Formats: sequence, C-alpha cells, structure tokens
Amino acid sequence: MEILKIVITSLYVSLTATFIASFFALVFGMFFLTKQFKLKDLFIKLFDSFTAMPPVLMGLLVFLLLSKNGPLGKYNLLFTPFAMILAQTLLVFPIIFTLMVKQIDKNALRIQKTCYMLGGRYKDFLTLILKECKNEIMTAVTSGFSRAISEVGAVMMVGGNIKGYTRVMTTFIALETSKGNFKGAVLVGVILLCISFIVNAILYNLKGREPNEYLY
Amino acid sequence: MNIYIEGLLKRYEKTVLNIEKLNIESGKVTAILGLNGSGKTTLLECIANIKNKDEGKIYYDGIEDFERVKNKIAIMQQRPYIFNMSALDNIVLGLKYEGLDEKSINKRIEKYKEYYNLDFLHKNAKKLSGGETAKVALLRVAVLERPLLLLDEPTANMDIESTLMTEKLIKDINKKNKTTIVIVTHDLFQAQRLADLVIFMDKGKVIEYSLKDEFFSNPKNDLVKKFLKRSDKND
Repeated sequence: MEILKIVITSLYVSLTATFIASFFALVFGMFFLTKQFKLKDLFIKLFDSFTAMPPVLMGLLVFLLLSKNGPLGKYNLLFTPFAMILAQTLLVFPIIFTLMVKQIDKNALRIQKTCYMLGGRYKDFLTLILKECKNEIMTAVTSGFSRAISEVGAVMMVGGNIKGYTRVMTTFIALETSKGNFKGAVLVGVILLCISFIVNAILYNLKGREPNEYLY
Repeated sequence: MNIYIEGLLKRYEKTVLNIEKLNIESGKVTAILGLNGSGKTTLLECIANIKNKDEGKIYYDGIEDFERVKNKIAIMQQRPYIFNMSALDNIVLGLKYEGLDEKSINKRIEKYKEYYNLDFLHKNAKKLSGGETAKVALLRVAVLERPLLLLDEPTANMDIESTLMTEKLIKDINKKNKTTIVIVTHDLFQAQRLADLVIFMDKGKVIEYSLKDEFFSNPKNDLVKKFLKRSDKND
C-alpha cells in the first residue's frame, strides 16, 4: 500500500510540474519565436544556462522562499506536495522552454510568414505551429518529465520525504538505501524505471511518425 | 495591381539591393532575370514584405501601407514551406482562411485540375517529390486569385511537361483575371515564352528593363548583350 501511495504521489507531482512548465514554456516560447527584440538571444542563453541548474540549489531557493521567514512563509507551504511541484516546475521549465525554442526556431518564422501570406490570423498560426511542431514539442515535454520524475535533491529538501504525504519514489530509494534496505530500494527503482519507460512510450506514440520532409 | 518602387535599399549577403525607381505594370507578366546573387529573390521578397526593406518605398496601386493590401498579394517562394497535411489541404488552406464554403472551394479547385495530373492530392504533402511539391505550392497561391502573384522560380524542380503546363497556367491566370505576375526565372526561353516585360538585374541593381521583344532583339546594356550572346552560343 505504501509503495502504491509513493508511486501515485510521484506521478502527481511530476506530471503536474511538467504540465505547468510545458504550458508556460509554450506561451513564452510562442512569444520568443514570433517576436524579434534586442535581448532575445541573451534571454535564450540565460534560460539555456538554467537547464544545468543543480536540483539542490533549486531546492534551496524554493526552501528559502517558502520557509517561515521567507516571502511566502505565512502560507505554510513548505513540506507539502505544492512545494515539490513548485520546485520541479522551476527546474524543468528552462529545459522544456529552451528545447522547444531551439527545435522550433528553424521553422517558426517560415510557418508564420506562409500562414499570414495565405490570409491566416494569429490563432491560425498557433494552430499550425502546434500541429507542425508537435514532435518537437513532445520531445521537449518528454525531456522535462524525465528530469522531473528522476529528480531527488529538490523534492527531498522542500518535500521533507514525509511518509504517506510527500514521499516519492526517488526520496524513498535514497532513504531505503541509507537504511540498508536494498530490496525495497531496488523494487521501487524498477517501478520508477518502468513508469519512465511507459510514460515516455506514451509520449513517443503521441508524437506519431514523422514523414520524410522533402527538401530542395 | 501596379507596383511602384522608389529608393529601395536592402542589404543581403554581401550585396545591397539598390533600386532607384521601378514601375511594374499592372496586368502584365514581368520576368526578372539575372545571375545568382543579383538580388532577384530579395526584390520579390521585399515586394511581398517577407523581408523588411532598409530604406525606400513600395506603392501598391498607389498605397504604401502594406497591411491594407496584404490580402491582394500572393507569393510562391523558391523554397516554399509545405505543411504536414495532405496536398489538397495545403492547397485549400488559404481559401479556408478567406472563409469560402466547401462548395466554393471545390468549384475553385476544379478550375485548376485541367493543368496537372493531380493524383497526389490526398498524399501527405511532405512525402511528395520536388516537382509535386512545387505544383502544390503554386496551386496554393494560384487558387487565391489575388491581383498580384509573385513567383520565384516556380518550375525549377519540374519536368518539361509540367513546366509547359505551368507556363500555360500562368498565362491563363494573367489573361483571365488580369493578374499582375512577377516571375523570377533563370530560363531565358521561359521569359521569352511568358513575359510581356523583362527586368535584368546585376549586383542588386536593375540594369535593363524593357519590353520582351526589345530586350531580346535590342538590349541596351553591355552585360545583357554579352549574356544573351553567350546563351545564343550555348543554344
């Protein structure tokens, strides 16, 4: 029963964080892809460098934000699934955003110009780019989810690894290993691996087959 | 649609497109010839507002504001972006954006079926051959029936038969709809077959602009003379 609860909490936290990060990455991504402004490259490079942010550092930042003396301390959000979702969202947003922008950038302007030339409006362009770049978007989302589900440092710090509440698969593995309970750790490790494969397979299938683009 | 260009400057690659004055006549087919990198595509893309000009003005029937005329201009680019959908969906996309109902769309498509063997219409457009892709890109802009049609090497990837049918299509569009057509081509004979007027460009400048017959029989510019002589020898 405990393991089931851990699996559900892990999926809830990581999928929610990936969903929120993907939503904001898509909104900001569309803005970055279609607008030309002076500091655009600098912003993209900045987000790119955030992809290498150590999870414990992100955990520390969120901890300071939510701790009693922090700006959001009065809401008592530390050691809750919300804190874990916040930490993972901030951690995977730069990954999804930069992957999305880098992958779509080569085609976004061409799609926009062609769409507008044919008489389309902004909503038509958005529909087209989501369809045309479905594979690139799904690749970015899959990478974000992989990072979220396998992350341990940040969720340990801001979630507290509380049994039945904020304990997730990665923190369970870390705890059981330190206790010398390798059997439990390996079991949850295998479950984690299977879930990663299944979720990635689902996302991969959602991408569909890519037709061979004819270039000339 | 008449196009009048004044003081156009656009830096591209290592050259500058520099056109002091150019008037593209309404209802005529104008061919743009020139060597690689002479600015033909840049000129076409500046007219279609795909590339922002650095300086100068372009008037469309006397109107400078591109936003007011954008729905009267269609361009087929040298490397058109083809969407990941069926060839037919690509072709009718613009008509859907214009709000045409299914019956009107079908009627419009029927008009263009005589030109090509369109048995690839239901295939995914990204899986088509170069020639078929070019046909989809051309039909996608042709069916819009806009007053100004800009074509950048529309037959570059087509076989002889398709090229001739495309030329027939271009002529028919021009005659039936009085569409102003500007076509970039490397093919002198195509320019001879299609155009009413010919522009020759070199290093970003228009060095010859005249009626077709005059261009081929009595060019004024020395470079154009050499160019035509060379192609006569090669013929």
